[in-house]
Amino acid sequence: MRRFALALLILAALLAGLVATQRNTAPRADFTYLEVQDIHTLDPQRMSYQQDMRLAYALFEGLVRWDTQSEDFHVVPALAKSWETSQDRTTYTFHLRAEARWSNNDPVRASDFLYAWRRAMTPDTAADYSALFFRIKGAEEFFRWRTEQLAAYAARPDSEKSREAAATLSREADEQFRKLVALEAPDDHTLIVTLVRPTAYFLDLCAFASFLPVHPANVERFVTADPRTGARRQDSGWTRPDHLITNGPYILRDWKFKRELLLERSTTYTGPATPRSNLIRMLPIGEPNTAVLAYATGSADWISDVNVDYIPELIEQTKRGERTDFHAFNSFGTYFWNFNCAERFPDGSPNPLHDPRVRRAFALAIKKSDLTDLVRRRGESPRDTLIPPGSIAGYHSPKGLPYDPARAKRELADAGWTLHDGAAPTDSSGREFPVVTMLVPGTPAHHVDTALTLGRMWEETLGVRTRVEVKDTKSIKADLTRRSYMTSRAIWFGDYGDPVSFLDINRSTDGNNDRAFNSPRYDSLLDQAEREPDPAARLKLLEEAERILVEEEVPLIPLYAMMEFQFFPKNVTGLSSHPRRVQYLWQLGINRDSPESREPPAQAGGQAPPPSTNDNAALLLPLPLGEGRGEGFTLLGLSSTPTIPLFFFPERIP
Amino acid sequence: MIALILRRLIQAPLILLAVYTITFALAWALPGSAIIRDEGRRPPEAVLAAMESRYNLDSAPTFYVQYLARATGVKWLIEQAKGADGHVPDRVFDLGPSLRYEDWSVNDLLAGTLPVSLILGFSAVAIALFLGLAAGILGSIKPRSLLDAATLALALIGVSLPSFVIGTVLLLVFPVWLGWGRVGSWGSPTDLILPALTLALPFAAYIARLTRLGMIEALNSDYARTARAKGVPQRTIVLTHALKNAFLPVLSYLGPATSFAVTGSFVVESVFNVPGLGRHFVSAVQNKDLFVIMGVTLVFSAILVTFNLAVDILYRWVDPRIE
Repeated sequence: MRRFALALLILAALLAGLVATQRNTAPRADFTYLEVQDIHTLDPQRMSYQQDMRLAYALFEGLVRWDTQSEDFHVVPALAKSWETSQDRTTYTFHLRAEARWSNNDPVRASDFLYAWRRAMTPDTAADYSALFFRIKGAEEFFRWRTEQLAAYAARPDSEKSREAAATLSREADEQFRKLVALEAPDDHTLIVTLVRPTAYFLDLCAFASFLPVHPANVERFVTADPRTGARRQDSGWTRPDHLITNGPYILRDWKFKRELLLERSTTYTGPATPRSNLIRMLPIGEPNTAVLAYATGSADWISDVNVDYIPELIEQTKRGERTDFHAFNSFGTYFWNFNCAERFPDGSPNPLHDPRVRRAFALAIKKSDLTDLVRRRGESPRDTLIPPGSIAGYHSPKGLPYDPARAKRELADAGWTLHDGAAPTDSSGREFPVVTMLVPGTPAHHVDTALTLGRMWEETLGVRTRVEVKDTKSIKADLTRRSYMTSRAIWFGDYGDPVSFLDINRSTDGNNDRAFNSPRYDSLLDQAEREPDPAARLKLLEEAERILVEEEVPLIPLYAMMEFQFFPKNVTGLSSHPRRVQYLWQLGINRDSPESREPPAQAGGQAPPPSTNDNAALLLPLPLGEGRGEGFTLLGLSSTPTIPLFFFPERIP
Repeated sequence: MIALILRRLIQAPLILLAVYTITFALAWALPGSAIIRDEGRRPPEAVLAAMESRYNLDSAPTFYVQYLARATGVKWLIEQAKGADGHVPDRVFDLGPSLRYEDWSVNDLLAGTLPVSLILGFSAVAIALFLGLAAGILGSIKPRSLLDAATLALALIGVSLPSFVIGTVLLLVFPVWLGWGRVGSWGSPTDLILPALTLALPFAAYIARLTRLGMIEALNSDYARTARAKGVPQRTIVLTHALKNAFLPVLSYLGPATSFAVTGSFVVESVFNVPGLGRHFVSAVQNKDLFVIMGVTLVFSAILVTFNLAVDILYRWVDPRIE
């Protein structure tokens, strides 16, 4: 017994020691927010997730930034105090603020941008957004040159590969970059960029995270030449709190993986972005329900993305006036349904969806308002176009296809299918229309609901048989890449304020063309738009391209506007309601003088924003919703239990 | 005793190699690409090819051998022996980068999350041991009494209710309704209580059943009767004489229970947002994050092998008759 007690005592001492190492000594933050998605990287050139970019905009300052509180989301000066454009609108000269400093007190130089942008243009960095830089003259050529140079190195015999040889390669690439790419820094405060052709949205791109500068010495300390591939190898570690050098309004004070991240107001930053909060704490909570409970018990001031299955009930509560802190916003994205447009499936069997008439028939058979109002009940508005209408100044969206069951049947008949009552359509040789499979992920559960609804609509109008296939996202991606599917759910968010951000995913050669869509007419319209110097004429060409996409060829059916749901009490200020959904953390704060005041979120300047006239701006609740109650929610995708939490947790404990 | 330890120490690398090989085969066969993201913009083909070759993802045998060499420190030893500067890996045991969380290496992830899982797991086992023994002893003193039925019923609930239900209910009752504790934070000792309790309940229930059975048998045995006849107080008989024997099956259960509590707390970690290792492991499989899968599996299996050895040693220490 004594031995047993001794063992327990040792265990207890061990535990106490371990617990002591886990103590959190950080002071209380001025503003705490929750992310349900994890942070993947703080490297601006490599990031592609919204939550990563949110942090990047607080840590780094680019040439320009967006006015997120404005209706047209225009670009305003940030690190560049001014800029000029050449007559032919291809050369931009940026004048940088001379007093700008990195957090280690080094001056921010124009060459820092050259370094950061070269990283993004180098295949070694594996930047998801390297193609955005191909607007810059010589960038694409440099990217290709480096790819070929590395391929040639890889083909060398092992005896000719070494760290020194790889380093030489890297130096050659630097030389080539200077020769090929039209980026110049004549002095520390001037940056000259020449574009391939006039690009209306280039300044918008400059505000994007991939275009943020990095501190060259900070990054370079963690770069090694890889003797095996010849590539420059970026080791993780430069973004850690003890190494990361930033030029934005905040520094990275602490970052514990999947636990918390702390931003502290920078003492070296003197720019126009004045932080509202001195210390910002980010808590990653991956389980959506836990995130809501954490907010409800006062652990956070803002949930950036509420993704629970009881959103319809939250909307109901808001409509009844029982809740004032739940908010819904239209976002710069569209939920749509993919068709596999390939002529044949990988197994060689013919694909009936290759025929645009069949695809149109499927699109015309869907009553989107029933899907959004009766099934989803999340207040989403139905969409007939891929690009959110009204989101891009000067762009007039096409009409898209309406709900028209009679025409749907005609289109299918025109494609050579004979419709039958109570049986699947047959072709001229009597072969039945194959079972239409619908590929969806299992969580969140509403994707499955959407698929079941579409399937039912297709069955009722066209008589086809349907089957929902639930798979994990990796398998879905693999099936899409192999074209081994019939239809699937899809979502696309625009990266920059231009139609091309949405339209280029349907180019026959684009890596994001999951639909195997191949329309020479569509491709050539995009090419023409690319070459068109007149902005208005360019937009006309893009309008025509989208019209072909959603009215004629229909490789996808736009279904509804993507929405972002958030929790925040009335006293949180600085949140943008613009559909681009960019939130600058330095603008966020809590109005402590009037807790839970009834005023709407104020602008950066302190005044209330003007009432919105833009259709896509804040979608204020109450929303038009259908009848019906939720059946249950899925926790962890394991089981369905009644919606317990919702009805019992208080609005918010102050 | 020494022979046993030596034998086990020789077996351990072979077991680990087998686990590594099987895990590698399964992880490599997972559908989809380790580099291509499921959503969002896809980088140019040249970028994807460069990444594949950088991480050895273009060749299974190369990956298998290189990773094993780096993870086990063999690579480090070889480079150290060569004495070449700058070629020696920074770490002795280099478990590789995370493909999904690009700013972190698997070593970083383990350093940050393994202590959390250890704390949670050990606390849960400690709670389970306390609750289980207490319930088992109480139930065995008067079998078929009301107290026995009550503890049995509690044990049944503990075994049959899934942790995400218990966890959610605990979250609702304590932090949300009563305002005790916080939700989703980790950093103060009180944050540990609810997740550890949730994780402990199934183990406690099982321990209670084991203890009760063992105690009933021991209390009805000859030596217990002799002790009673000699006038030994009931308390001493129960706590010293009977419990010592009844504890043996519990001890042999503690080995697997501890390793399971430390490594298998995915659901509890999710519900309470505990930044432990279990969640990484599951999300790594979902993301086909090969380095994390392989690294975490190696570390998990090393923990399992160690715990099993520890329990074997403890077992012989408690009962020297066992060979």
